[in-house]
Amino acid sequence: MPAPSSASAPARSPVGSFASDLFTSHLASLAAAPAWWLDRKRAAYEQFAGLPLPRRTDESWRFSNILGLSLDGYGLPAPATTRLAPFPISSAASLTFVNNTLIRGAAAESKLPAGVIVTTLAEAAVRHADLLQEHFMAQPQKLGSAKFAALHTAFVGDGAFIHVPRGVELAEPILIQHIASGAGAAVFPHTLVIAEENSRVCVVDTFVSDDAGAHFACGANDLYAGHGANLTYVGAQAWSRDTLSFQFNSTVVRRDARVQSLNLNVGGRQARHESLSQLQAPGGFSEMLALTVADRTQEFDQRTLQIHQAPNTKSDLLYKNALRDKARTIFSGLIVVDPDAQKTDAYQSNRNLMLSEEAEANSLPGLEIQANDVRCTHGATSSRIDPEQEFYLQSRGITKAMADELLTFGFFEEVLNRLENEELHAALRALIQTQFKKK
Amino acid sequence: MNPLTDTETLPSPDVDETAANPVAGIDQTRGDFKYDVAYEFDAGTGLNEKTIDYISDVKKEAAWIREFRHAALKTFRAKPMPTHWATRDLENIDFDKIRYYLAQGQKPKRTWDEVPDDIKKTFERLGIPEQERKYLAGVEAQFDSEAAYSNIKEIVSRQGVIFVNSTEGLREHPELFRKWFGKVIPTGDNKFSALNSAVFSGGSFIYVPKGVKVAQPLQAYFRINAENFGQFERTLIIADEGSEVTYMEGCTAPKFSTSTLHSAVVELVALKGAKIQYITVQNWANNVFNLVTKRGLAHEEAEIKWIDCNIGSRLTMKYPGVVLKGRKARGEVISIALANDGQHQDTGAKMIHAADETTSNVISKSISVGQGRATYRGQIHIPKHLKGCKNNTECDALLINTNSRTDTYPAITVRGDDNYVQHEASVSKVNEEMIFYMQQRGLTEGQAMSLAVNGFINDLARQFPMEYSVELKRLIDLEMEGSVG
Amino acid sequence: MSSLVIQDLHVAIGEKEIVKGLSLTIGSGEVHAVMGPNGTGKSTLAKAIAGHPDCTITKGDVILDGVSILEQEADERARAGIFLAFQYPSEIPGVSIANFLRAARQARLAEGEELDATAYYKRLYARMDLLKIDRKFTSRAVNEGFSGGEKKRCEILQMAMLEPRIAVMDETDSGLDIDALRIVADGVNTLRGPNLGVLLITHYQRLLEYIVPDFVHVMYDGRIVKSGGKDLALELEAKGYDWVKKDFATATA
Repeated sequence: MPAPSSASAPARSPVGSFASDLFTSHLASLAAAPAWWLDRKRAAYEQFAGLPLPRRTDESWRFSNILGLSLDGYGLPAPATTRLAPFPISSAASLTFVNNTLIRGAAAESKLPAGVIVTTLAEAAVRHADLLQEHFMAQPQKLGSAKFAALHTAFVGDGAFIHVPRGVELAEPILIQHIASGAGAAVFPHTLVIAEENSRVCVVDTFVSDDAGAHFACGANDLYAGHGANLTYVGAQAWSRDTLSFQFNSTVVRRDARVQSLNLNVGGRQARHESLSQLQAPGGFSEMLALTVADRTQEFDQRTLQIHQAPNTKSDLLYKNALRDKARTIFSGLIVVDPDAQKTDAYQSNRNLMLSEEAEANSLPGLEIQANDVRCTHGATSSRIDPEQEFYLQSRGITKAMADELLTFGFFEEVLNRLENEELHAALRALIQTQFKKK
Repeated sequence: MNPLTDTETLPSPDVDETAANPVAGIDQTRGDFKYDVAYEFDAGTGLNEKTIDYISDVKKEAAWIREFRHAALKTFRAKPMPTHWATRDLENIDFDKIRYYLAQGQKPKRTWDEVPDDIKKTFERLGIPEQERKYLAGVEAQFDSEAAYSNIKEIVSRQGVIFVNSTEGLREHPELFRKWFGKVIPTGDNKFSALNSAVFSGGSFIYVPKGVKVAQPLQAYFRINAENFGQFERTLIIADEGSEVTYMEGCTAPKFSTSTLHSAVVELVALKGAKIQYITVQNWANNVFNLVTKRGLAHEEAEIKWIDCNIGSRLTMKYPGVVLKGRKARGEVISIALANDGQHQDTGAKMIHAADETTSNVISKSISVGQGRATYRGQIHIPKHLKGCKNNTECDALLINTNSRTDTYPAITVRGDDNYVQHEASVSKVNEEMIFYMQQRGLTEGQAMSLAVNGFINDLARQFPMEYSVELKRLIDLEMEGSVG
Repeated sequence: MSSLVIQDLHVAIGEKEIVKGLSLTIGSGEVHAVMGPNGTGKSTLAKAIAGHPDCTITKGDVILDGVSILEQEADERARAGIFLAFQYPSEIPGVSIANFLRAARQARLAEGEELDATAYYKRLYARMDLLKIDRKFTSRAVNEGFSGGEKKRCEILQMAMLEPRIAVMDETDSGLDIDALRIVADGVNTLRGPNLGVLLITHYQRLLEYIVPDFVHVMYDGRIVKSGGKDLALELEAKGYDWVKKDFATATA
């Protein structure tokens, strides 16, 4: 189908605030970093500056608000502290970054099994250079944001590096908190998780603003699940309402490994999330979950890609959006089955709950199947709360507003129930509730 | 589409075994023949302003049409090939090597006796005159750029139904047709609608007066006979308030070593309470680029239904659409695509909801065989403030043999909380145990595949008029027989 | 008169040998029951005779009326006269029983020869009456949404219409209640006759109360370990398969 005709936008700077002098001063702040790391960043900056901003005719930006993507008005913030309460879950270790700088690192020593590394990227660049080189932003950018991913690599200040050695299982999650503070702050959160053979780990990333300022967030997480590993990742995004946010996920699933990821999105003015799962070896399973509560004029733009590269792999995606006010959501998901990936079992579902007259949900569920012996299905629905269910609750004396809230939470519970960790489940539910009460 | 020369051997309609015989001996090359024809009018090779003036001159067109064509040529040149979302195979079309207008004359004959022998024998071989006698209300048979034959049964014309070609429609009935011509599908809708608008010739212009229900289908048959040729028919059907009409089109071409282009524009207008059913069985030779724009405008309580079967061609890109303009309008697309070796069926549907309580339904089934590729693209749009709109979309793809490919790319936009949209799609392989089961009953692998495929589309094929579902089944049998072992 | 001769048959599925040297001769007019515990290779034997692509014949032969059928595709074997009543018949969505059987009949005609539709329907309805099957049945898609009993009945109807020389019935009784079992058995008994040889594969003796076999063979670990008359089934019922297993263990010790 032809793309909508492009409206001519005023020419915008392809680098915006992120001009070369800002990059130079950023490099200057990394005096202790090894040369290869700086070279990598320089190359990334060149790539960022050389690529154009997305255009309306780009298929991978279909339905996105291109005009909202301006990179002007941001700067690299000074280090700061925060008085925000930590995310309410118990953890085996936690790191807190404010404005790209580690302010708190609490590895509860007794809880962290021997050999597990939970450290910063800065330290990893020195002490675990080989692992970092192998896994940091190593996967292809296939979902449209090569430019912003390069921006992330160029400006990433610090982030979390997690390595779980072979056979080690962690009972409690590792918590990584990323905080933006001060108007105009640009942050580049990063979390890298390497789960080696038959290990088990759960990592929670939170993204919050310390104030209601206009922030720019451009984050990434790299997840690698080795042979037989079990990796759970939860991202809770609650940036300020004035934040322009990009988040890039890459998940690599090796033989018989299982990865579950759940992204909860409530914050930001315009938030784009790209998630790439590569099922590289037989027996791999990737479960991709997302919950989004969109209100006022928020735009949530989610792009996913499930690539089945080996036989007998499985993926299961469920993205749910609840839309209120004039909010917009975009879900664009693609399942790709390579020619050799026989016996693929892939599922993809996008459910939109329309809670206002002016909300807009866009769905682009896609399939590209090149193997023969596969089972792939996808579905998308957009509908309001079922009036019959609403009536049933009302007939039991529940007010309409309360009934709607109950039913909306029921809509989310289907996803939250897939989490094993009860505490995490409760914390995410509370975050959704806060978002609902804000009105 | 292949013609229905075997209708007399059909089982009686009270038996549901229309799909009985998967091994009927069919002439696989029925459309693949060619008689030499001396063309009186030839616009030459390549496309420029002179080509357009030539077409306009021979058709003795009004000035506004000539201007319309010239403006469209500019639009065509300005628009890029849509390869940013579509296949790069489009780049293999060489517009400079195509002949844009070939005809023996501009006025179609009203009786088969008057049709020149060299053209008549083509249509006789395809069985058109015979079908006309049997069950059609009217027939237009286009040979390259112009209709060689066009006739409507007297009983239908007496009801005020107009069934003419595009040239005649615009010349003789401007008050009816000019109002809607190019309005449902504007010239600039896409590169190929612009190309058609520049060089269109042939096609049907139909008007059904208020309350008239045309009992039998009107049929058009499109034949490409010349090599390096482009066929650009233009069809406009207007069903006035409360009227009903069914239109069927078929097509064939001989297989040439060079590629051929077919690029039609079809506009349907269903006024209040009218019903239009438009059926296509596309069986172009597999060197034909079939790039067609089809859209209907459904007014209040009107219904437009596209039934679209794509069996032939090298590349088909076609996404029939309905703009649901009036309250309670209904739109439907039923689509079947079979992509065999060397074919790419890129089909789908577009439903634009523009009024309250409008409903749309899309059911698409595709079969990819061997190296064939099937793609579904859909667009469902429900804008702000609409109430009570519903869409249901189902896409199922069946894969046979190893190298086929299937893609599904729907796009759904919904605004507001009082509308309901549902999309489901699945891709699966033909079940090996099922094939073995059938082989154990004595069917060859090809026959078993053929039955499996016919079973897969059976619920859709049932919606076709009887003659068409039989024809479709035969075409599928042919394709499947050739594809296995 | 027809005969199916199975000679020292060895069948593997994948790398694993399942049938390990089985010999058996079935003549027209005879009903042979093959009984045995689960996992002993009974269904593999049935599939191998029918030519299922998963089965690799590593040794031995299967001969129908003097001709080895091992090189034939499944459909050639079927047309030669082998019928397999499946334990789990496939569903064929959108294809009615009438159309399916018509296609199968057509496939048995010489090239260019057209099936006489009138005669076909006459025959179909006669067979359905014989088997007490409702006429409406044939317009349903093959096995789609059928109950266990309906699926088995559909198998019997196909057998009646395709007139095989040798019918292999794989666990025809599985999943059937006693009423359904009786109906199926009645069908088989109706079709039983001098032109049909039957190989009845079953786990339970109860089917043999309704279809009385001429010969009973006990299969264990991929081969026949005991053969006898119909009384063997009763003995087996009384003593259980452990008896065979024990016997077999002593025999191979």
